[in-house]
Amino acid sequence: MVSVTQEARAEPLPRPTGRLLSGGLPLAWLGVVPFFLYVTLFLLLPALSLIVGAFQTESGSLTLANVNSILQPQFTDAYKTSLELSAVTALSGGILGLLVAYSVVREGAPSWLRAVFTTFSGVAANFAGIPLAFAFIATLGVTGIVTVFLRDRGIDIYSDGFTLYHFTGLAITYTYFQFPLMILIITPSLDGLRREWREAATNLGASTWQFWRMVGLPILLPALLGAMVLLFGNAFAAYATAYALVGGTLNLVPLLIGISMSSDLFANPNLGDALAAGMIVIIAVAMLFYALLMRRAARWRR
Amino acid sequence: MPIDKHPDEPGRISRRELFKRGAMTGAGLMGLGAIGLNDVDSAFAAFLEAGNYPAKLVAAAEKEGHLNIIACPRDWANYGEIIDTYQSKWKMSITDAIPLGSSAQELQAVQNYKGQSRAPDTLDVSPAIALEAAQDKVLMPYKVATWSTIPADAKNSSGLWYADYYGVTSFLSVNQFVKNPPKEWADLTKPEYKGQVALGGDPRTSGEAFGAVFGAALAHGGSLNNIGPGIDFFAKIKAAGNWNPTLGNEIANDAKGATPIVIRWDYLTLADRDSLAKQGMKATVNVPSTVFAEYYCQAISKYAPHPNAAKLWQEFIYSDQGQLLYLKGYAHPIRYSDLAKRNKVPASLAKKLPASKHYNNIKFPTYAQLVKAQAVLTKEWGPKMGVS
Amino acid sequence: MRRFRLSPWNYLWIIVGAAYFLVPLWGTAEFSLETGIGKYGFSNYATILQDPTFKTDFLLSLKIAVETVIISLILMVPTMFWIELKLPRLKPVMDFIAVLPFVVPPITLAVGILHVFNRPILSLLLADEKILALTYVVLALPFTYRSLDAGMRAIDLRTLTEAAQSVGAGWVTILIRVVIPNIRFALLSAIFLTMTLVMGEYTIASLMLFNTFPVYIQYVGATQAQPAAALSMISFGLTWLGMLGILVLGRGVGQRQTVVGGAH
Repeated sequence: MVSVTQEARAEPLPRPTGRLLSGGLPLAWLGVVPFFLYVTLFLLLPALSLIVGAFQTESGSLTLANVNSILQPQFTDAYKTSLELSAVTALSGGILGLLVAYSVVREGAPSWLRAVFTTFSGVAANFAGIPLAFAFIATLGVTGIVTVFLRDRGIDIYSDGFTLYHFTGLAITYTYFQFPLMILIITPSLDGLRREWREAATNLGASTWQFWRMVGLPILLPALLGAMVLLFGNAFAAYATAYALVGGTLNLVPLLIGISMSSDLFANPNLGDALAAGMIVIIAVAMLFYALLMRRAARWRR
Repeated sequence: MPIDKHPDEPGRISRRELFKRGAMTGAGLMGLGAIGLNDVDSAFAAFLEAGNYPAKLVAAAEKEGHLNIIACPRDWANYGEIIDTYQSKWKMSITDAIPLGSSAQELQAVQNYKGQSRAPDTLDVSPAIALEAAQDKVLMPYKVATWSTIPADAKNSSGLWYADYYGVTSFLSVNQFVKNPPKEWADLTKPEYKGQVALGGDPRTSGEAFGAVFGAALAHGGSLNNIGPGIDFFAKIKAAGNWNPTLGNEIANDAKGATPIVIRWDYLTLADRDSLAKQGMKATVNVPSTVFAEYYCQAISKYAPHPNAAKLWQEFIYSDQGQLLYLKGYAHPIRYSDLAKRNKVPASLAKKLPASKHYNNIKFPTYAQLVKAQAVLTKEWGPKMGVS
Repeated sequence: MRRFRLSPWNYLWIIVGAAYFLVPLWGTAEFSLETGIGKYGFSNYATILQDPTFKTDFLLSLKIAVETVIISLILMVPTMFWIELKLPRLKPVMDFIAVLPFVVPPITLAVGILHVFNRPILSLLLADEKILALTYVVLALPFTYRSLDAGMRAIDLRTLTEAAQSVGAGWVTILIRVVIPNIRFALLSAIFLTMTLVMGEYTIASLMLFNTFPVYIQYVGATQAQPAAALSMISFGLTWLGMLGILVLGRGVGQRQTVVGGAH
């Protein structure tokens, strides 16, 4: 992504004393009060109401019924499928995104190429819902351009068992916004992969593959994994595209939350809260990994 | 979602008619069903048709100047024309929030926006949500002038909600992809429709898809008390390889061949047919012999920021003109039998509808039956349809 | 030995990436040009562009996007500057908060915010689209945080600040005339990501009853066939051009980057 391309600073300067560190702890904390107030109002309180709602009935009394419900097979099955879909697209989007990002960001790549790809990625990463579902129906659907193209050449993907309207098709569609997201997230880290290291490795006689195996990937790995965890969360929470493409025939947690909370028939918002609370637990664990990995990644970039 | 104001229209109420109407209003409202002043109500309905609405109501509504409706897509039961007509008949503007919203979202909007000027004034929701809203005490009772002509099993006795239009299950087939459109439920399992049969949504959440499953139930030995056979039938469709999980409620999917056959309410399939025709694509709509029918309900929010505009909207919807506008959108207005009895249905309009024999013996489910069916469906649809 | 050229593998991945982006768009474009069986033309585009709702909803989304960017930057830039400078121990907390928005599903966030704000004084904020902008600031948090963080780490904040203070600059001056010019690209990135997020977000906008551009797109997508495809193309194109514009503008204005002290 577009980032500051100045030379990174070298060794840290000796810690200055005096004015910068005066003021003491209490005063300094005042500076971040607006931010934390904002986050409390707009993020923490809503999240809290969700968790509280998971343990309530419609009338407000406490209950474990919702939690029990989501432990039923139809719901645990949904969590499993959601996890699978998220993991698969985090990988597919992550790997493809990394390869494309590196190709347009490395030295030797014209800068217009980078601008085009990163701006396109910005738009594509947010292209979801009905328009995206339809774009893939128009491409890989029964009369989609790719399907027809292949059929004219004797390959009928549908008779071979492929269908757009199930897991694989949804994964392919999700990748459309996953890999640009990866490009956007990983580019700053790629920029940090200093050219000097590559030059040094080459001067020492290393091949491209050796460079990557022994220098590049180890350095990038924490940032890579961290980015994939973000992709994982992104896919896990995706709703509009899934609903538009597979309706309710794939058991996914966001779809079940949608059923609980926005139905034509009956609404069961507390069950929806419980399902969402389950999501929070899973993603929170994933994000914990992410936080740990990012800390390791930061070490290399100082 | 037009929000531009319309040009001025002068009122057309003479003093004599004011008198007449005053008397009629009094008599009509008193005569709600119990006394049986049918002639009076019909005459009053005639007044509404002639465009004479109570001046006080119109003035109060125009003073509010605005109406917030919610989840009324322009192409659903001809809401587009209904909205435009309301805005041009009086000095009113309408905001239609979230046209694609579900009934539950409408109720949530009422609860979440209590006291805000953007809150919805009126609702058009499924019977289940209407009942829930009544239980949650968020509705304002109001009985329209034509109240007595609404069938008793389609309204809440206190006037909290009442049916506005209904539809029956029907099949839409896009001719380009379906050479031999299915006519009856049994046809749907035929091998020629491989991968083609779709619903307008997930039956566990979408009213029209729920209706489709119920229709299949009624056609296969089930009843309003037993939706099981319907689920089994769709499982059979799936086993035959004919099931298509893509949502059939998007016209683009129909046009692209993604959903060649869709089971939806008749007013939706007929409107879809017309939409496709505009792009040069031919489609066929067939109504099977056994149908499931369901109505939607109008209600006014207790917290409506524009209560008089809301009441005027109701009066308009339940006037002959309003009800016929629904019919123009292929949705049977709830006052259809009353209109037919008084010969108010234009022959040209009647011709475009499916044969009346499909609508003669319909029975709407009760709340208890809906609750039961929904519970069974939620439990069994996933496992039986092999959702994984 | 320096490598100035792209390897064949690079070309391969560039082509694969471009194809993945473009082929589905081509599918949509092809459908958008259909005006009848076997006929092609631009009438579907005309239908959309002449729809008054298109303009109204697009401008509303644009307005919200600008508001979101402004609120976001006013909130984030000083906060992150302060933390980088004075409270580095808070970084892990910030890292965690910055990924929280992924954790809360949009439906819940919208309902939760409505609950919090539907009470006496706070409800003033619910009256117009500002509440949506305020919510989007949170949604964009992961992206704005990462961008600004990368930017602030890469410059020598301490030295710059010290130097500015030694010539008598106050905090506000430091922020505006020292920090911001030096994190220009990070700022652009943050603005960029925020705007595309707002122009593409549907769930919360619809739950809060706003007829924004994505709500319009979904509505047209569900009710019309070829014009919906035309709208998809228009919206993609407009947003992309907008982003290119921001990029070009950002780079063009003031090429020099102030570096005070620090090391090379």
